[in-house]
Amino acid sequence: MTLVTFLIALVIGLPWAGAVAVWLVGDHHPRLLNTLAVAFAALASLAALVLIPTGQAQPVVLFKVGGVFGDITFMPDGLGIILASIATVIGCLAVIFSIDYMRGEAQLARYYALVLFFIGAMAGLVLTSNLLLVFVFWEITALCSYALISFHNDDPKAVAGGIKALIITQLGGIGLLAGSLLIYTYLGSFDIQNFLRLFGVLPPAILAWTAFGFLAAAAAKSAQFPFHTWLPDAMEAPTPVSALIHAATMVNAGVYLLARFYPAFKDVANWSIAVIVVGAVTALLAACMAMVSNDLKRVLAYSTVSQLGYMVYAIGAGGIFESQFHLFSHAVFKALLFLGAGAVIHSVGTRDMRQMGGLGKQMPLVRNVFITGAVAMAGIIPLNGFWSKELVLEAGLKGGPVWAYAIMVLTAGLTAFYTFRCVWMVFYGTPARERHAHDAGTAMKVALIPLALGALTTWLVAGPFSVLLEGAQVPAANSTPEVMLTLTILGEVLSSPLTLLALGVIALGLVAWWQRERLNGVALALQIIGKAAAHSFGFEAINRGVVSAVQESGEALRVTQTGLLNWNIFGILLALAIVLAILIRGA
Amino acid sequence: MVLQILIVAVTLVCAFQALRARRLLISALWLAGTSALVALMIYLLGAPEVAVVELSVGAGLVTILFVFAINIAGEETLPAHSLIPRPLSWGLVIVSVLLLGWFTLPRLLPVFPAPDSTPFSQVVWEQRGLDMLLQVALIFTGVLGVVGLLVDHRKPSHAPEGHPDGNGLAQTWEEK
Amino acid sequence: MSLSILRILVIAVLGLVGVGFYGLLISRNLIKVVVALQILVKGVLLALVAAGSMQGQVNLGQSMALTVIVADTVVAVVGLALAVQMRRHCGTLDIQALTSLRR
Repeated sequence: MTLVTFLIALVIGLPWAGAVAVWLVGDHHPRLLNTLAVAFAALASLAALVLIPTGQAQPVVLFKVGGVFGDITFMPDGLGIILASIATVIGCLAVIFSIDYMRGEAQLARYYALVLFFIGAMAGLVLTSNLLLVFVFWEITALCSYALISFHNDDPKAVAGGIKALIITQLGGIGLLAGSLLIYTYLGSFDIQNFLRLFGVLPPAILAWTAFGFLAAAAAKSAQFPFHTWLPDAMEAPTPVSALIHAATMVNAGVYLLARFYPAFKDVANWSIAVIVVGAVTALLAACMAMVSNDLKRVLAYSTVSQLGYMVYAIGAGGIFESQFHLFSHAVFKALLFLGAGAVIHSVGTRDMRQMGGLGKQMPLVRNVFITGAVAMAGIIPLNGFWSKELVLEAGLKGGPVWAYAIMVLTAGLTAFYTFRCVWMVFYGTPARERHAHDAGTAMKVALIPLALGALTTWLVAGPFSVLLEGAQVPAANSTPEVMLTLTILGEVLSSPLTLLALGVIALGLVAWWQRERLNGVALALQIIGKAAAHSFGFEAINRGVVSAVQESGEALRVTQTGLLNWNIFGILLALAIVLAILIRGA
Repeated sequence: MVLQILIVAVTLVCAFQALRARRLLISALWLAGTSALVALMIYLLGAPEVAVVELSVGAGLVTILFVFAINIAGEETLPAHSLIPRPLSWGLVIVSVLLLGWFTLPRLLPVFPAPDSTPFSQVVWEQRGLDMLLQVALIFTGVLGVVGLLVDHRKPSHAPEGHPDGNGLAQTWEEK
Repeated sequence: MSLSILRILVIAVLGLVGVGFYGLLISRNLIKVVVALQILVKGVLLALVAAGSMQGQVNLGQSMALTVIVADTVVAVVGLALAVQMRRHCGTLDIQALTSLRR
C-alpha cells in the first residue's frame, strides 16, 4: 500500500475508529473520553497535514468494487487536501475546546462519537472521486449535523432546529442525487474525473438539469438563499459543534461541490449568473438580518451565511482560487469567533447580547481573541480576512456584473457595522446586570490561541495555496496567472484601486457604528427594513410551512404502518412481484 | 437425474414440515435436515468447500443455537390462525414464485463456458477481498448487537440540567 | 452439468424461496420467523452456487455463498437473542406484542 493510500485511510478511518472507541467506553469515564477523542482527532489532523506535501492529482483506488457502484476511489488533489486539513485541524481544536465546554454534561460519549464520525465523513466527502460516495458522505454529515443540533434532545427548541436543518438540507440533497443519476445514465460511471473530462457527452438540457440540481444541493447545504433559514436555528447545538459543523466544515461542502464541478458547468446557460445572484443576494440579506439580531450566536450564524455568499459569488465569477482562499480564511476566523462566543456563553449562561456588556474587563483573553476574529471578518488590514475578501471582490468585478460587485462592497460595509456592534454589546459598554464572569479555561485557551494566530498569519500562505490548487486542475481565475508567489498576490491586492474603495466602505461602516446616536434619524427611516429583517424577510414563514407540510404528510401516512411483521413482509413481497412484472414487460 | 429430483423433493418436504411443526424443537430439527440436504446439493454441484461450511454451520451451529434459544425462551404453542388470511398469502407467494420462474428460466443459456480454474482461496482473498472485510464488520456488529440486547441496564440516568446554549432570545422560539 | 439439471435446480431454489416467504407471511411465533428466514437464505445459497457453476466460475459463486452464510448466521444469532429478550420482557413470543413502534 502506498503512503498516500495509507494516509487517506488514516484521515477517514482514525476518526471513525475513535467514534467506535468512544462509544464503547461509555459515559462514566469522562477523562478517558476526553483523552481518546483528542488523541484520535489530533492523529487524524496530523495525517491530513502530512498529506499536503505528499498528495498527488492521481486517483487512488482503495477498493476495487467494480460493477454499478464504481470503485471506491479517492483523489487527494489540492482542493480535497486543503478542505480535509481544515476539517480535521479545526475538528481537533473544537474537540479540545469541548473538554472545558462540555464538562459535566450527560451522554458525553454520544457527543464525542458523533463529532468524530462527522470529522471522518467530512474528510471523506472532499477527498473522494466517486460521485455515489460523495452522496453517501453528504448524507452522513447531514445525519451527524442533525444528531448534534438535537444533542440536548429534551429541549424542544433543539429538536425542532435539528429537524428543520435535516429536512431543508435533504431536500437539497435530492438535487445532488438526481444530478448524479443523470450523470451515471449518460456516462455509465460515477467517477468525477471521468465526468469532468467527458461532460460534453451530455445533451445541453440534461447538463443544465444536473448543474442546477447541484446548485440547489449546494445552496441548501451552505444555507444560501432561498434555503438560508436553517442555519440560525441550528445554533441550539453546543457551541463547539456550531464552530465545527456550521462554520468551518459542513457548510463548506456546498461551496466545495460548486468549486469541484465548476469546469463542467461554467458554460451552461445562465448557471454562472444564477450562482452570482444566489451569492450576492444571500450576502446582503444575511448581513441585514445580522444587524438587527440580539442573539450572539445568531449574529455569527448570519455572518457565516453572508461570508458563504461571498464564496459562492466568487465561484460564479470564475475565481476558484479566490473563493477557496476565502473559505480557508473564513474557516479560521469563524471558528475562532464561535469558540470565543462559546467561552462567553459558557461563563455567562445566556446567548442574549442585551444581557451582556462590559465583559471585556473580566475576560481579557477571550476579548482579545474575539476582537482578532472580528477584525479579520470585517476585512481590515493586515488580517487574513482582508486579503481574501479583497481577492474575492476583485475576481467578482472581473468576472461578474457591476451591480453584483456594488452589492458585495455594500455588504462589506454592513459586515463591519454588525461585527463591531456585536463586539461592543458583549465586551464594552455598561453591564446590564452584575455578573461575575470567569475567563476561559485552559482547554478553551489551547483551542482559541492557535486560531487567533492563524487569523493573523494565514494570509502568508497564499502563494503555496495557489500552487496546491493548481495541481487540482482547477481553472485559474480570469486574469490571475496560475502560479503566483505570495508577495505577487499580496502586492497585486495592495496596488489595486478597488482595495481602497472597499477599505473606504468598511471604514464608513465602522464610523456609522461609532456615531450611531447621530444617525438615529437614518435608523428610524430604515426601520421597516429592520423589522422585515427580524422576520428574515418572510423566508422563515415559507420554511416553517415546508417543515410542517412534511411532518403532516408523514403523520397522514402513518396508517400504512400496521406494525405487524407479517404485513410488512407482505408489502415487501408485493413490491418484488410488481418489480418483476415491470421487468418482464420491459424485456 | 432421478437422484437429483429425489433430493430436491425431500428438501422441499423438510422445509415445509419445518413450518408446519407445532413444537419449536421439532421445527428446528426439520431445519437441520433441510440444511443437510442443501449442503448435499451444493456438493453435487461441484462446490465442496461451501458444502462443508454449510453443513457445519447451517446444520450444526444454527441448530444448536435454536435448541439453546428455545430452551431459554421456553416452548410456546400459539393458535394456528395467522394474521394474514391463508389464501391471500398462498396466492401472493405462488404469484411471486411464478414471476421469478418466468423471469429466470428463459435466461438459462444452453452454452456452458469452460470451467475457470482459479483456486478457491485466491478468489476469496484477492478477488473478493472487500467481502471479507464486510464479513468482519458484520460479525462485529452482530456481537455488539447481541451484547447490547442481553445486557441488563440498571443504572438510572440523572436528570439533565438546563444548558446555556438553550437560552437564546425568548422571541426567537415561536410555538408551532 | 446439463440443462435439465439446471432446470431442476431452479425449481428447487424457487421452492425453497417460496416456502421461506410463505413461512414469513404466516408465522406468528418469532422463532418460527427466524426458521422461515433460514429456509429462504438456503434457497439463495443454492441459487448462488448454481449460477456460479453454470457460468463456469464455481469458486466465485462459492465465495459469495460464504459471505451469505456468515451474514445469515449473524442474523440468526441476533434474531434469537431478540426472541429471548422478547420472552423476558413481553412474556410471549407472539409478534402481535411487538407493535409498540406504531404509536
